[in-house]
Amino acid sequence: MIDSRSTVPVLSLGLRSVRERLAGPLLAALFCVSLSFAISVAEPTVESPSALKKLSLEELFTIEITSVSKTPEASSETAAAIRVVTQDDIRKMGALSIPEALRFIPGVEVARVDSRQYAITARGFNGTIANKLLVLIDGRSVHTPLYSGVFWDAQDTFLDDIEQIEVIRGPGATVWGTNAVNGVINVITKPVASTQGFLVTAGGGDVERGFGGVRYGGKLGARAHFRAYGKYFDRGPSLRPNGDDAGDDFQMPQGGFRVDWSPSASDAVTFQGDIYAGSVEQPSSEDTDLTGGNLLARWSRTFSPKSDIQINAYYDRTNRTIPSTLREGLDTYDLAMRHRIAFAGRHEIVWGLGYRQYFDDIRNGPALAFLPPQLQRREYNGFIQDEIALDERRVRCTVGSKFEHNDYTGMEYQPSVRLAWTPTTKHTVWAAASRAVRTPSRIDRDLYVPATGPFLLAGGPNFDSEVLHALELGLKAQLNDKLTTSLASYYNSYDKLRSLETGTFPILLANGVRGNSYGVEASAIYQPRSWCRLSTGYTFERLELETEPGSSDTSQVKQEGDSPRHRWYLQTSISLPHDVEFDWSVRTIGELPSEDVPDYVAWDGRLGWQPSAAVEFSLVGRDLFDRQHAEFGTPASRREIGRSVYGKVTCRF
Amino acid sequence: MPLLSRVHRAAVRSRRRRTTTLAAVLSTLVLFSGTVAFAATGTPTSEYDLKAVFLFQFAHFVTWPARSFRSENSPITIGVLGKDPFGTTLDAIVADELVGGRKLVVRRYQLVDQVDECHVLFISASEEPRLPSVLARLKGRSILTVGDTKDFAAQDGIVGFTVDKKRLKLRVNLAAADSANLTISSKLLRQADVVRGQGKR
Repeated sequence: MIDSRSTVPVLSLGLRSVRERLAGPLLAALFCVSLSFAISVAEPTVESPSALKKLSLEELFTIEITSVSKTPEASSETAAAIRVVTQDDIRKMGALSIPEALRFIPGVEVARVDSRQYAITARGFNGTIANKLLVLIDGRSVHTPLYSGVFWDAQDTFLDDIEQIEVIRGPGATVWGTNAVNGVINVITKPVASTQGFLVTAGGGDVERGFGGVRYGGKLGARAHFRAYGKYFDRGPSLRPNGDDAGDDFQMPQGGFRVDWSPSASDAVTFQGDIYAGSVEQPSSEDTDLTGGNLLARWSRTFSPKSDIQINAYYDRTNRTIPSTLREGLDTYDLAMRHRIAFAGRHEIVWGLGYRQYFDDIRNGPALAFLPPQLQRREYNGFIQDEIALDERRVRCTVGSKFEHNDYTGMEYQPSVRLAWTPTTKHTVWAAASRAVRTPSRIDRDLYVPATGPFLLAGGPNFDSEVLHALELGLKAQLNDKLTTSLASYYNSYDKLRSLETGTFPILLANGVRGNSYGVEASAIYQPRSWCRLSTGYTFERLELETEPGSSDTSQVKQEGDSPRHRWYLQTSISLPHDVEFDWSVRTIGELPSEDVPDYVAWDGRLGWQPSAAVEFSLVGRDLFDRQHAEFGTPASRREIGRSVYGKVTCRF
Repeated sequence: MPLLSRVHRAAVRSRRRRTTTLAAVLSTLVLFSGTVAFAATGTPTSEYDLKAVFLFQFAHFVTWPARSFRSENSPITIGVLGKDPFGTTLDAIVADELVGGRKLVVRRYQLVDQVDECHVLFISASEEPRLPSVLARLKGRSILTVGDTKDFAAQDGIVGFTVDKKRLKLRVNLAAADSANLTISSKLLRQADVVRGQGKR
């Protein structure tokens, strides 16, 4: 039995036990330090609005403020498990990529696979080709029809220009459509008018060897603004389980632009686009290359406070070359329209139409093939949803359905009913019942191994959509000005999940697995002082799968063990005197039995100094008390993530 | 040997799980006992509470031309255009107040075309994408436009809120105030940064 760790048992055990002995007390000590700060430091001036009114003008300018919004965020009244990651959160996490910004969301699993790949999902079924999450960047779906998932290595933007990332766990198919089965992630960048001037960032460290970017925003006449950016990173390799360099260094330059134009007071037009060209070194072959770009146009018009319309069109091109495996070129054209109209005081109807076309062109290698290599697919859809306000708006009921046609399975319907009860402005109880489908992707229907017959494995010619029926129940409460809590629970029932029918020759992909999952996600954000914020979350989830009668599947059922059963995190942000910020976080992730990935604890820290509004210096450390750990993949082939440190400078002018 | 290492690992893992659980329980306990302890103390001043007080104060430090009021005793209107960040605070602040013998009222607008008789208009961040055309629509009217989006005053808004070292600051575009026929008291201007606008309104 080959076990890399058993070759150096003394060393690794020694290091580990030191870390173990340190971890608990350190956590407790840091916590006590943060809290004793909270208790002992004198409270800054605290005023109610009526008291503020009596102050002189001079005094008003000396009041220290916090940007915590008092009005509940729109998300707190939504009948869904929604979490918003703000620009400030991204900055304080020291995230350098979109996946790293998703680490602290209950219900969302983020496992780093190597230097470029991530396994990301919500509420179970994780994997490098996870297929139950829909991801959009400024309204552009970044989903690949190859496996109904996301190539995370190609999804990037100028992170300082992100306004927020909205994450909805649970089905969002009624509005968002196919693939919004277990969740939706919406990355939204800032309007151009708020990103004017230069922003320059640069930094580097041991793993993130060098990164930097420049953004400039300016005016185009009286009614339009533009911005343009360029960025680059050079990321060092991940590690083999024995600590050796895995040789998968990753570099990617990217650029993009956005123009916001308001031809009149009721119209807004946006044009935006990105272009990128990444390459990932491979230890024993040529580089894996990923290039691509996109162009998007959006027009929105407000007819009245009760009615508005939005039309969105985009083109996206991605190319991927994996040496001796496959080369793919994919063109996506998408056109969508959405209209909102409120009437009779209590109804708000949103309806829309959409059309999407894919041209997928694959050059197959010897190991596996997608046949036919060239494929054109069309999808068209419509949806309608009515939000009805009842009992003086304290109860809101949202009913709707999406109707979608695809070339594989024809018409699919995805209805949902959501109910939100807001007894006070600070409490929301919500419940939802939904049906969502994952339509077949090329991997389900067109995959052949090896590339020429006789095949060992083949896609299922009759592979049907996977179906989810979900029940959700949640509670959101703002207990006082300082403490906000949220609890979400779900029971999901899945039918026709993908199975590997080993009883036939060749092995076929079919819909022979079914099962259910249930879970609880709890989170709290606590801000005892304007300069101290704590955020914690706990996730429990359990997946139970079984084969349908007649199915000979044995491998897909192992997905039960591809997600941790327990997860917990704590993030702390402290603003110290002299414009210094100290942020640290800890997360504990349960083991993945199917992958033989042990549970792990990861500590991250950031020290920031912002001597003026124009300059910020920060020092970020990841996995501080851990030489390296695995997050996903079986021991024989997996890559691990090591401790890393980087410094960063951001200038605005 | 593999067996031995597996036993070692199991021991480490169970110890780790214990410390992890302990740490989780401990911090949760501290967090929630902290909640109880702090529940009684005051709130830090919210940014929008303070901005609401400023909107009210502007009524004292700005002089409007008489023709911007329908009558001798018509109220001073404070408007909020777009998504309202103040909640009920602004209404509470102006309730029962008189400035120069006039009452104060708060109005909320979704569209710039709905803005009728208005004296102080807070343009919410939600209107940022349309800001140039919103300001163009208000051109020539005696309305004190106030905003907190970046470069609001430089973009021909009159008063822009900025935040510096957690303190609120004002930027005033005097050219824009002049072309709106508004007189801003020197008492307020002394506390503000006066900026030049990019053009005429």
